[in-house]
Amino acid sequence: MTLSLKSLPLAFVVSFALLGAPVQAAKKPLPGPVAAQVEPEPEIFDPFEPVNRGVFMFNEVFDAVITTPVKFLYTNLLPDPLRRGIGNVFDNLDDVYIGVNHGLQGRGNLAGNDFSRVLINTSIGLGGLFDVASDMGLPKGKGDYGVTFGVWGVGPGPYLVLPVMGVSTLRDTVGRGLRIASDPRTYLEPIPGFSLTGLEYVHVRSRNSSTEDLISSSSLDKYRFTRSLFLQRRDALISAAKQSH
Amino acid sequence: MRNTFALILFSLFVGALAPALAAGPEDLVKSMASEVTASVRSLPPDNGGVNPQLTAIIERELVPRFDFGRISQIAMGRNWLKASPAEQKQITTEFSHLLIRTYSNAINNLRDMDVAVRSTRSNGSDGDVTVRTQMVGRGSPAAIDYSLSNATGSWKVYDVQVEGISLVAAYRDEFTALVSSDGVGGVIAALKKKNAK
Repeated sequence: MTLSLKSLPLAFVVSFALLGAPVQAAKKPLPGPVAAQVEPEPEIFDPFEPVNRGVFMFNEVFDAVITTPVKFLYTNLLPDPLRRGIGNVFDNLDDVYIGVNHGLQGRGNLAGNDFSRVLINTSIGLGGLFDVASDMGLPKGKGDYGVTFGVWGVGPGPYLVLPVMGVSTLRDTVGRGLRIASDPRTYLEPIPGFSLTGLEYVHVRSRNSSTEDLISSSSLDKYRFTRSLFLQRRDALISAAKQSH
Repeated sequence: MRNTFALILFSLFVGALAPALAAGPEDLVKSMASEVTASVRSLPPDNGGVNPQLTAIIERELVPRFDFGRISQIAMGRNWLKASPAEQKQITTEFSHLLIRTYSNAINNLRDMDVAVRSTRSNGSDGDVTVRTQMVGRGSPAAIDYSLSNATGSWKVYDVQVEGISLVAAYRDEFTALVSSDGVGGVIAALKKKNAK
């Protein structure tokens, strides 16, 4: 969305060069008798915390002023089945990428599942409006380029908060750039391209509303809490992908 | 003589039976999760906000099976020992209130879900176990893993991981920062302030 396409290849090279150093920071267990009782948390590497906090605050304001009202209109004006259909169409497009990434991770069976889903949902599911495949016992997969890089051994690099798009890491931002570069919507005319991207954004954000509310009501320092949850989640996705080899 | 023999036999029988009767970690998790989902399902649909009925479910089904003392200890990490016994007690009380509220908000999402136990694995050398479950139903399945300990003679949960995310670990990050800026008192003050909202 915000990345200029011409500079993408350069951005990848620079990013991967940057990823090298901090990545394999040793996971030292905390000393003390109680430390070993929970699964080790992912190392938090946040050298740009002041900047990240600034962007985080900007995103909070952006959410309050723009995302929340738009989300409200979206959920209240559009009937539930229509919203589900919209979500299914985006999920169907996403299944293509999940399949590609499962393939890149060497998980052929899962990739087969993902591509079967796309074939079934695009045809019987009327262009992806209906998720028939899930009812047929082909569950939706998980994963993206960031996870694939992680499976290949690339560390997360510094934690980043992106404007509007939200929490990420350097590795996941590169993954996201790759996704945007390979998304057909990027090459549409600006108006339909941005409308579709905006619609997906509003849909995803309204789907995640309950999680976001939970974070707001539970956290003492929302920035820290969100960062911990996000990094734990990415770590879990990557370990699960590695284990299933 | 015969009576004594019968008594010995009887006590041997009971002794062998007792461990089998005590609920194992897997049964505990399974019954807890299915009771919670069944209770939530029986409530009228709810659109957010603190719901006293959801809190009541958590108080009834979850709280007796959770070891909030140990949860607080883990969330404090090495700073636990910096707190006086009175402070430890205060942290445990306030933190359990916050967790109960958080869980109450979260369980509404489990309305259309059912629990399936996937596996139980031993978790280190101290007899702790992790029971891995999957919530299945409408939408994509969600993995919920419970870590349990038998240290007090009955199995109690001390960590829950939803899709690989541990809330306790997230709180540990917050508590560590609070202790280094405002000391142990900072944690208590922040928890009290949050609970008062």
